[in-house]
Amino acid sequence: MKRWISIAAAAIAVVWLGAHVPGCTTAGTGGAAGSAAQKVYVKPGEHDAYYAFLSGGHSGQVFVYGMPSCRHITTIPVFTPEPAVGYGVDEESKAMLGGFSWGDAHHPGLSETDGDYDGRWLFINDMPNARIARIDLGDFKTRQIFGPIPNLSAAHACPFPTPNTEYVFAASRFSVPIPVGSYSRIEDYQKNFKGVIAGVKVSKEGVMSLGFEIVTPPFDWDLSDAGKGPSMGWQFFTCYNSEQAYDSLEVKASQAEMDYVAAVNWQEAQQAVDEGKAKQIGGAPVLDPATVPGIIYLIPVPKSPHGVDVNPSGEYICVSGKLQAEVSVFSTKKMLDAIAAKKFEGEKGGIPVLSYQDVLEAKVPVGLGPLHTQFDDKGYAYTSLFLDSQIAKWKVGAPWDVPDKIDVYYSIGHLMASEGDTRHPTGDYVVALDKLSKDRYLSVGPTHPEAAQLIDIRGPKMELLYDFPTYLEPHYAQMIKAEKLKPFTVYPLEKNEKPYAVKKAEDARVERKGRRVDAYMVVVRSHFTPDIIRVSQGDTVYFHITNVEQDDDIAHGFGILWSSKNMQIEPGETKTMRWVAEKAGVTPFYCSNFCSALHQEMQGYLEVAPAGTKHAAVERPDARRVAEVAALMRHQ
Amino acid sequence: MHYLFDRFRPTERKLIGVAALVLLPVLFIPVLPIWQMKMWAPQYREGLTLTIYANDIKGDLQNINLLNHYVGMKAIAASDFHEFKYLPLALTLFGLMALVGALVNRRWIGILGWEVFTGFAIYMFSDYARWLWEYGHNLDPRAAIRLPLFTPPLIGFKQMANFKVLSLPGAGSILLAVVWLLGPVILFLEWRADRRSARTAVKGRV
Repeated sequence: MKRWISIAAAAIAVVWLGAHVPGCTTAGTGGAAGSAAQKVYVKPGEHDAYYAFLSGGHSGQVFVYGMPSCRHITTIPVFTPEPAVGYGVDEESKAMLGGFSWGDAHHPGLSETDGDYDGRWLFINDMPNARIARIDLGDFKTRQIFGPIPNLSAAHACPFPTPNTEYVFAASRFSVPIPVGSYSRIEDYQKNFKGVIAGVKVSKEGVMSLGFEIVTPPFDWDLSDAGKGPSMGWQFFTCYNSEQAYDSLEVKASQAEMDYVAAVNWQEAQQAVDEGKAKQIGGAPVLDPATVPGIIYLIPVPKSPHGVDVNPSGEYICVSGKLQAEVSVFSTKKMLDAIAAKKFEGEKGGIPVLSYQDVLEAKVPVGLGPLHTQFDDKGYAYTSLFLDSQIAKWKVGAPWDVPDKIDVYYSIGHLMASEGDTRHPTGDYVVALDKLSKDRYLSVGPTHPEAAQLIDIRGPKMELLYDFPTYLEPHYAQMIKAEKLKPFTVYPLEKNEKPYAVKKAEDARVERKGRRVDAYMVVVRSHFTPDIIRVSQGDTVYFHITNVEQDDDIAHGFGILWSSKNMQIEPGETKTMRWVAEKAGVTPFYCSNFCSALHQEMQGYLEVAPAGTKHAAVERPDARRVAEVAALMRHQ
Repeated sequence: MHYLFDRFRPTERKLIGVAALVLLPVLFIPVLPIWQMKMWAPQYREGLTLTIYANDIKGDLQNINLLNHYVGMKAIAASDFHEFKYLPLALTLFGLMALVGALVNRRWIGILGWEVFTGFAIYMFSDYARWLWEYGHNLDPRAAIRLPLFTPPLIGFKQMANFKVLSLPGAGSILLAVVWLLGPVILFLEWRADRRSARTAVKGRV
């Protein structure tokens, strides 16, 4: 009897735990059964199974969504100032933006280890200004913006990290004479304009630096993907406009039967640079394939190809010819054999050209306007069809057939499958990233949102689950299992080594050197210390503010009236803001980020005396206030 | 009178040895919590924790102090408690006393030790209660929020403003209680053994 009671008790305990332990129940990871509504429903208080990172396009940002609920969780400012958190306002992020206030973010690239997402960083390109940003997925903050990369003009084929995040890449979409800023008559396009492919090294800490550049004929380099498995060490790039037209590209760049996919051997290229075979142009080591052989090869592809995508095993390189109805699948083995046998059908700008037939494995009749391909865990590929507004599911391998298609709304560009460009796709979902939303949502006038659809790919047939609008304009996106990310929510105060940090109220002060004023301030619920700062007209004031809170979600804001100056300071963080006291008078400041019960009282004044008024070299806040704040921090 | 100067039986002597083993290490490794307080509020569903050790107070001190400052409560800091300086030493000394009692094997040492230990425990409890009373009664008159004077619970559950507070002894206190209980247990064992031997003696006479 006793034994039965204990077994029953254990069973009840297991059921109870299953229902109550957070993270134990995650929506959408079960089987394919149930209604579409059930599959996207995530109960209040529970979490999604995936993070999705959608590029923000010409908003310059990254949008973070939870999948399968399709909830917008946050927006990470990357290439564009963001006043709410003060991105581009505080001195550090302002310096990182390098004077730019716009970027066009196209392709997120999660860092990888052994060809699978490792959850450390997210790279993303700014196409027009040829920059690459690294976002740390510990705090979801942009930590480095590398670029403008010398000689590059519009980094569209970017960043597409290699399987161990050794490199990210960038290639010119709009060729120009190099170095950037050189003059040429546009009619001398073929002679003076250059295409450039850059390999950007990523250190163990994630820091990017320029590895090498390769100069090419002025094709328009379009998209890229990293080889893996047997194609490890190769990076693939598609191009259009191998016609080398400089005007009316719509027509002139669509004439040739074949354009190219380039295969770059990045190990050979780096070695060539290390051996001193590069020429310095615009401050970058540039390799010329005419004099440095073995670093790049061209494979002909029909009709202005767009996406190039390597399958999970790395055996096949799938290229979508956007003006034809087929995906050309090339074999890594055939490519390597042809290169080894030096079997070329010609050369273009010093680059050997392989024969299409020698390298081709299959042509898959997917439908009209194929753009991009992603993969699942069952040996299928999913290709977006712009003209057909569909996704085609096809078999990678014999019989190379297309067993399923699904309609999307409307005019799909990229698509992303869950971990769908890694060595081990999870095969749960595909998200269609559509260019037009037209009538799908409540109308908000002429500027339509973009549209996206979540599609279940666990069963034999694709199933449309959900339709969700996004702000302008996701191009590519990537989806990673939520458990691979371990974000932290508080910066440990003891690890804050910022030079301007003050961690104790006793150290809060206003220092003056000539016309420069440094205000070292401490913020904690619900006050600034000091909260009165006296300066003179014409002074430049640097506010160094440390939030000494160590509690989850207790950020403080610092906004100055009659200015464009506002920033948010997270728990344990120190930020610096520069403000010029242009006029005499009194200017209030306040906490702009709701923090606590007495948030409304969290305010202070800047007293700006007429120019020339004398101040002490160091002014300290009211002693009683200091004692009160110090008391709060005594436990340290 | 010879009762006090008698020796313990082997079982009771071992029990005193156990008490010594529990108490002796406190000064060197004060790892077990003496008391624990857990506080929940709507925005702190995971709860804030205060854990009191023989020599320290740990947990979400910064947050608790930050929240308490709105009602004018004095910030809690380990350096305020002189108890932390002598408590581990006192407990270890009690252990030493038990050890001496067991080794020398004289009943009076054991009884004296237990009685002083009992007195000490009563003092520490009243001291703890006094601290709790003080924190809830010496409120800063300049506080943003004025609450009626209060005393946090010594043991058990209490709703205080938007916080639900649960206060419970920690594993260390439970172990100390067990050690304390060894006193009455030994008395009982001796009494039972005496009664048995008396009974055997009576039987023997019959």
